[in-house]
Amino acid sequence: MLGGLGLLILRRLALGVPLVLIIIVLTFALVRLAPGDPALLLAGDAPTPEFLAQVRAEYDLDKPLQQQLLTYLLHAVQGNLGTSIYFGQPVTRLILQYFPVTLLLTTLAMFSASVLGILLGVIAADRRDTATDAIVGGASLLGFSIPIFWLGQLLVLLFAVTLDILPAGGWSSARVTYYGFDYVLDVAQHLILPVTTLMLFETAMITRFTRAAMIEALGKDYVTVAYAKGATHSRVLWRHALANALTTSVTVIGLEFGVLLAGAVVTEIIYGLPGLGRLFFDSIFRRDFQLMTGCFIFASTAVVIVNIITDIVVAVLDPRVGR
Amino acid sequence: MAESSAALPESAALGAGTPTRRHRSFAHNASTWVGLGLLGIPLLAALCAPLLTGADPMALSPQTLRAPALAHLMGTDDLGRDVFSRVLYGGRVSLIVGLTSALIAITIGTAVGMVAGYFEGRTDEVLMRITEIFQIIPRFLLAIVVVALLGGGIVKVIVVIGVLGWVGTARVVRAQLLVLRREEFVLAATLGGASAWRILTRHILPNVVPFIIVSAALQTGGAILTESFLSFLGLGDPSRPSWGLLLQQAQLYLQQAWWMSTFPGLALSMTILGLNLVGDGLASKFGARKIAR
Repeated sequence: MLGGLGLLILRRLALGVPLVLIIIVLTFALVRLAPGDPALLLAGDAPTPEFLAQVRAEYDLDKPLQQQLLTYLLHAVQGNLGTSIYFGQPVTRLILQYFPVTLLLTTLAMFSASVLGILLGVIAADRRDTATDAIVGGASLLGFSIPIFWLGQLLVLLFAVTLDILPAGGWSSARVTYYGFDYVLDVAQHLILPVTTLMLFETAMITRFTRAAMIEALGKDYVTVAYAKGATHSRVLWRHALANALTTSVTVIGLEFGVLLAGAVVTEIIYGLPGLGRLFFDSIFRRDFQLMTGCFIFASTAVVIVNIITDIVVAVLDPRVGR
Repeated sequence: MAESSAALPESAALGAGTPTRRHRSFAHNASTWVGLGLLGIPLLAALCAPLLTGADPMALSPQTLRAPALAHLMGTDDLGRDVFSRVLYGGRVSLIVGLTSALIAITIGTAVGMVAGYFEGRTDEVLMRITEIFQIIPRFLLAIVVVALLGGGIVKVIVVIGVLGWVGTARVVRAQLLVLRREEFVLAATLGGASAWRILTRHILPNVVPFIIVSAALQTGGAILTESFLSFLGLGDPSRPSWGLLLQQAQLYLQQAWWMSTFPGLALSMTILGLNLVGDGLASKFGARKIAR
């Protein structure tokens, strides 16, 4: 059993590692495809001649293309994503410094979305073709049709501007400084709107897929068998059928993680949160391309890792997968 | 990642509707019609923009940040431009970018899906690997990086969205091909000496069209969303304001001018919701679930 799982993890890593390499090569290709001298692109708009020469040497920009690619790959794999022109600091250090905010935001959003989405999906499937099902279906359709950046603005307009019960943005209160538990409460209050904004789309997605998977599971023979053995309705629903549908829900969570990170960029912009998305966004307009590509490589790698994890979770939930 | 993503039901992506009960068919038609209705309003408004407003969407005026009134139905923005007119003309940009990039995505997706599903074997494996890569790489973030590095401009934005968006169509079409290629009419055509090209375009394609139409509705919604996402981040074409750009400009004046955000967002959401409803309704009507296995 454990041996099988170990093998599976190795196999997933064997698929994931080349994917990360492809992402790095792709980024390299894009930087090379961009108009102008790549050294100028990486060194910023008005570098000193010494700095330009240093960037050229660091990335072997006067060597043949394959040598450049190899250098870029080796740097990236070792965690060296270059230096930010704007901050004058290593990109990796900046990313690690800004990442916790994004990690907290996305984890809270994805966790809430998963719980709510699975709950709603199961209930809708159980009450299929009733008013409840129709309401859940309509709400989830609405949920993934409303663009996240407009939803964010609407929530600000409603809860911060009109009702004035929640802060419109920021990580914590600017005028008062709280300590200890009060600080946690203050931050939590600032996170309510961003998390709600970010989770709605994912909730809708998970609800939809869970409902479809549950309906399929409820039509299977083992459900009939479970009823025949005298299992209660709720046991059949939440244990037998959900055990099967859960693999779909978990897979969706993995596949949606990239969209979630893109949503985090927008959410952090609307609410002025000091996270990775904000860092990434600002780097574009500061023409800080090392920081921008670094953030992209980091985020893509995170997506690959999350997919590997969800694949393993799926395999644990469903022993038939990939053994 | 191969097995688990392949295990996702294509049907759920197309629409959670299940057309097994006859009395539900009305609901599906209703969903299509409601969708068309929602879609029709912004579409017609954008088409007839010059008839509906005399205001120039780019004309500045000293009446800045005015609330909606008779003179300016949706108010004015920070530079005194008429928001109603900007929403109408912005709709043209959003819809054109959405439709053309969806067309690119559908063409690539159909080609990849048909070739993968028809030839199976190694071709299928290679194409599906590529599909998986495109599925996992964060599309929106990649679009940002591409546009930021290669420059904006409406044509580049269209191409980027199209090239990054074909995965959904490819998967749906491939699933159809795996079923269709075993049908007797395909066997008959093969025995009759028809070339693979002829079989694919003449015999199989007409059978895939309903699924392509469903996919097209969803892809167009996705493309409009991606365009507005890029524009919201300031990566669209600044000389051609779209709904996304209007929302970006609204962001700075959220506290003073709710109308700058509300109306463009409403138009954008109505369009995407309409397209999703149409896609859902048609998916159920065509029985996508039954065959998509």
